[in-house]
Amino acid sequence: MENYVIAMAVSAGIYALMALGVNVIWGMAGMVNLGLVGFFAVGAYVSALLTLKLGLPIAAGMGAGALATSLVGALVALITVRLRGDYLAIVTLGFAETIRIVASNTIWLTNGTDGISGIAGPYRGTLSPEAFNLLYLAIVGTIVTVAYLLAERLRASPFGRVLRAIRDDEQVAAVAGKHVALFKVKAFAIGAGALGLAGALYAHYTSYIAPDIFVPLLTLYIKLALLAGGLGNNRGAIIGAFAIVFLLESTRFAIPLVPGVSAVQGAALRELLIAALLIVLLRYRPQGLVPEQLRQIPARAVPPGRYQPTA
Amino acid sequence: MLKAMKAVIDEVNASGGVSGRQFELVVEDDETNPEAAVRAARKLIDVTKVPAIMGTWASAVTTAVAPLCWESRTFLTTVSGADSITKLPHQGYLIRTQPNNYLQAAKHAEFIASMGVKRCYIMSIQAPFSQPTQERATEVLKQKGSQMVGGLIYDKDKTTYRSEVDQALKTNPDCIYLNGYAPDVTILLRDLYRADYKGLRFAQSYAVTSKVLESLPVEVTEGVITVQPSADIGSPAYDLAKKRLGIAEPDSYETQATDWASLVVLSIAKAKMATGTAIRDNVRKISQGNGTKVYSAVEGLKLLAQGKEINYEGASGPCDFTDIGDIIDCKFRYNKISGGKPSLLKVA
Repeated sequence: MENYVIAMAVSAGIYALMALGVNVIWGMAGMVNLGLVGFFAVGAYVSALLTLKLGLPIAAGMGAGALATSLVGALVALITVRLRGDYLAIVTLGFAETIRIVASNTIWLTNGTDGISGIAGPYRGTLSPEAFNLLYLAIVGTIVTVAYLLAERLRASPFGRVLRAIRDDEQVAAVAGKHVALFKVKAFAIGAGALGLAGALYAHYTSYIAPDIFVPLLTLYIKLALLAGGLGNNRGAIIGAFAIVFLLESTRFAIPLVPGVSAVQGAALRELLIAALLIVLLRYRPQGLVPEQLRQIPARAVPPGRYQPTA
Repeated sequence: MLKAMKAVIDEVNASGGVSGRQFELVVEDDETNPEAAVRAARKLIDVTKVPAIMGTWASAVTTAVAPLCWESRTFLTTVSGADSITKLPHQGYLIRTQPNNYLQAAKHAEFIASMGVKRCYIMSIQAPFSQPTQERATEVLKQKGSQMVGGLIYDKDKTTYRSEVDQALKTNPDCIYLNGYAPDVTILLRDLYRADYKGLRFAQSYAVTSKVLESLPVEVTEGVITVQPSADIGSPAYDLAKKRLGIAEPDSYETQATDWASLVVLSIAKAKMATGTAIRDNVRKISQGNGTKVYSAVEGLKLLAQGKEINYEGASGPCDFTDIGDIIDCKFRYNKISGGKPSLLKVA
């Protein structure tokens, strides 16, 4: 049981890192990114290939994965700089599918739909599976903590303030003398970097990646995590990610307790239950699980006395 | 497939289980998604502490779940077809009852040669199996006194394959092996008909589905031969599976599931220990060799209890495994399309 809980905590940690990344792009800067699984894939593939084919150390592979994804993020942001709302959502969704299809067909590099197996994990093999899980939890925990602190710093900084201004009204931000496009590209690059790092963490944890993993369902999980936790709120992003994994996994144990439901029906019922719970949550608590955090944002972001009119 | 496994387990439990202990089947959904499957497998391994996981279907799911299984010493049985799966460093913790591409290509080529084909041409979709299938089929055709006169790999989702068909017909083949999926094989059949090709056309059953047959005129599909891995319909184990499941014709997957459950139960009985390692170390002792042939788990358990050696012969095939966990032999079902309907040609 412990091992299972630890493994789920690692999953949740990876989800949390993704949620933090998306929070920068979507929550703070207001850019809808439905392609987050594409960035996750880029990070996973870059790190897996560098460590496997060039024999790079795992940490270097992960760093390179995050960096490469960050660059890809900046590129996507540059291309889509004039798109907003639904249009941006569709383009980013297309981006993720493009990445998946490229990964399926670039067989010489990515091994196509067979995927890449045997990706190294830190001390995998020398440690028992349980010890490896624990070590990985420590690594993921540390990275999520650092990412959280950085994201909090970002949120409280003038940079974060500009992002929120852009989210609320691009034109006003531009009129106030802010280079909107540059801020957007930067925010996208930062968020994408976190997504890429999460992808690399995932690849080295499970040791196997394939295009089938990077499907839009994962994007939805992270979106839901963020919505459940509270959009624009870093602590909410982490809490939401853990809540989603808890929800996904606890229904696994709850369903068999329902009498008269076959295993196949149970699996379907589980998905239904997850959907229903999320609808209820969003209907009665649209501000997320930790709404008080959201209310604090304006108070902190514009401390009285330091407010200076820009006009 | 789940029903087939459950039926075997119920039968074993009804006959008293193994050493007085009963088997329990725990079910988790892999959602045909490697990420979800890994979480489900973790639960089965760490919480339920199962000795064996049976039934990953998609190749990507199997490849994702397999490392968890061998690291945690849990046995895995699968139907996934990708050749790469049994080449994973699984230390014996994995068996596959589905023929891999290598075996399929060899069997297909043998059949084509047996139809008196002298010049075969192969058209494959861009997929992991394309190249290996072409190579293996070419090899076997040559051994059987036939010849592969050429092959090409085409892209999916094209609206016409006229140029590919022209390229194939230039070699003047008397058989064309269409190694693709339903959407492209539909178009290929149409284009071959338009090009007035009269030779043999050979394809996988999953590429010439009932939908494909409905969508094409009868004369276009007339005479097409399709192939699929088959249950061993002549074997006593197949008859037993029919009775157990109460259906007239259990398909290949249902019989494979029957065999997984039987193999796992018998391995545990042979080892007198319900661990993944015990199953790994004993599965070949009960599935192959010179022991008495048995056709069901219950029958095998009786003989094992008497201290006899057994050789389980399954409903899907003989269930003999290579060192890396691939089956050595299996049956294929060949259908011929006539009047827009498949009819059984033979099972071999």
